[in-house]
Amino acid sequence: MKHAVLAAGSLLVLLLAGTVPAQDPAPEPFTVAQWRAILALGPWPNPTGVDPSNRVSGHPDAIAFGATLFADPRLSRDGTLACATCHQPERAFADGLPRGRGATDVDRNTTSLLNVGGQRWYGWDGAADNLWAMSLRPMLDEREMGGNAQQLASLVRSDPALQARYAAVFRQPPPADDERVAVDLAKALAAYQETLVTARTPFDEFRDALARGDTVAAARYPAAARRGLAFFVGEGRCTMCHGGPRFSNDEFGDVGVPYFIAPGKVDAGRHGGIAQLKSSRYNLLGPFNDDAKRATATSTRHVAIEHRNYGEFKVPSLRDVARTAPYMHNGSIPTLREVVRHYSNLDENRLHADGERILKPLGLSKYDTDDLVAFLESLTSPASTP
Amino acid sequence: MNWQHIMTLIGVLAAAGVEAAEPCGAALTGDKRILQNARYQVAYLTDINPVPAGRHFVVDFAVCPRGDAPPPSAVRVDANMPEHRHGMNYRPVVTTTAPGVYRAEGLLFHMPGRWDLTFDLVTGNTTQRLASTLRVE
Repeated sequence: MKHAVLAAGSLLVLLLAGTVPAQDPAPEPFTVAQWRAILALGPWPNPTGVDPSNRVSGHPDAIAFGATLFADPRLSRDGTLACATCHQPERAFADGLPRGRGATDVDRNTTSLLNVGGQRWYGWDGAADNLWAMSLRPMLDEREMGGNAQQLASLVRSDPALQARYAAVFRQPPPADDERVAVDLAKALAAYQETLVTARTPFDEFRDALARGDTVAAARYPAAARRGLAFFVGEGRCTMCHGGPRFSNDEFGDVGVPYFIAPGKVDAGRHGGIAQLKSSRYNLLGPFNDDAKRATATSTRHVAIEHRNYGEFKVPSLRDVARTAPYMHNGSIPTLREVVRHYSNLDENRLHADGERILKPLGLSKYDTDDLVAFLESLTSPASTP
Repeated sequence: MNWQHIMTLIGVLAAAGVEAAEPCGAALTGDKRILQNARYQVAYLTDINPVPAGRHFVVDFAVCPRGDAPPPSAVRVDANMPEHRHGMNYRPVVTTTAPGVYRAEGLLFHMPGRWDLTFDLVTGNTTQRLASTLRVE
């Protein structure tokens, strides 16, 4: 109650004065608009609830089965690659490489699986609209784990332990339909991945302190991070895309990163992703969605393919971003500082935006860059830093 | 004015074919917004109000011709961010729920900021556009 009174008092001061008074003399106080934008970046954690398209989402036995499958290399064709080979728990469930390395090298950076539950689109191109489809894809992709539905179903049927766990999770023995078994394995994997949620961060402590008007706790947030935050939600307009508690709007953008894979070969990004999505049997409009109402299929039903989608890639979450280097869809930028420099010196001629005017070079000084990096680093929990 | 005068006035108006005008969108219950130009009036409401960034929402709306304007033969709903020069990433679908009353589904504002919600009313070769500006957080 005391906190509620303090918060109300702070808001009143804010409304009267138009600014939030800073406790640290160094940083500028936040404007009302910045203050509101900061509050919109939380609270954290932000529970996403169970996935209605996956009948075992949130089930403890499915989560445990999914964790076992995640580390099992027998899911790959030659028995050498597990999900955890590329999505390594000690590397924020990524691999630290510029581009993924499965059965062969792939064209894109391995995305972290942290906070992967409840997203609207999956993958750099958003070719999947649900987590179980996204989990199935690498198992079947020749370039990654290289398997097929028959091989996956045979594995489950031939291993008594896997068969028993399958039956316990799905309340029936593995059916004769290989594809159904493969999709169910992906649903158990998805149930596990939904539990991979990042810890609270210094930013979250600051954001919540602001929300409840706790000026003492708020003052513990470093001045440089606070200045970086003010830029992030203010002049930098970074929350246009990196908004919300996950620091992503779950959509796509062209941020001037080249999408040439090899001479004469380009990565079509979102344009290709929408085409794949619409033709997939595993999308939320397809036969494997466990929700007869298709309650979460609105985006799939209405997504529009536009010329501007060419070369657009998913806006990544920034939570635990200090642990997920290298950056961008092709892993071409090795450090956070260089990512900030990329936006600072943005080459507008590289944007293929059909006249859109969202991005502009930030033109940051060294000190501004330091502040923005300090803020970004504050989005990573000290407990999770290796 | 006494009772006899009122009844006489009602009789005269009825004889003249004057009907009591019903406000546009009377069938829509909720916090409506009204848009109009010389030929049409549109009353609309959203199922989430205010509309936030990042969530699908539904628009229920009524189209009311003014004067001698004909009812539109087709109706389209869309939205764009004029400052960014881009539209939505989703294509809404409009269905008729009653004569002159429609529902648009599938809209999503994927960024905070100013959005213009547009209603295109098509009659023959002409399209009348009415727009409503929303500030999205």
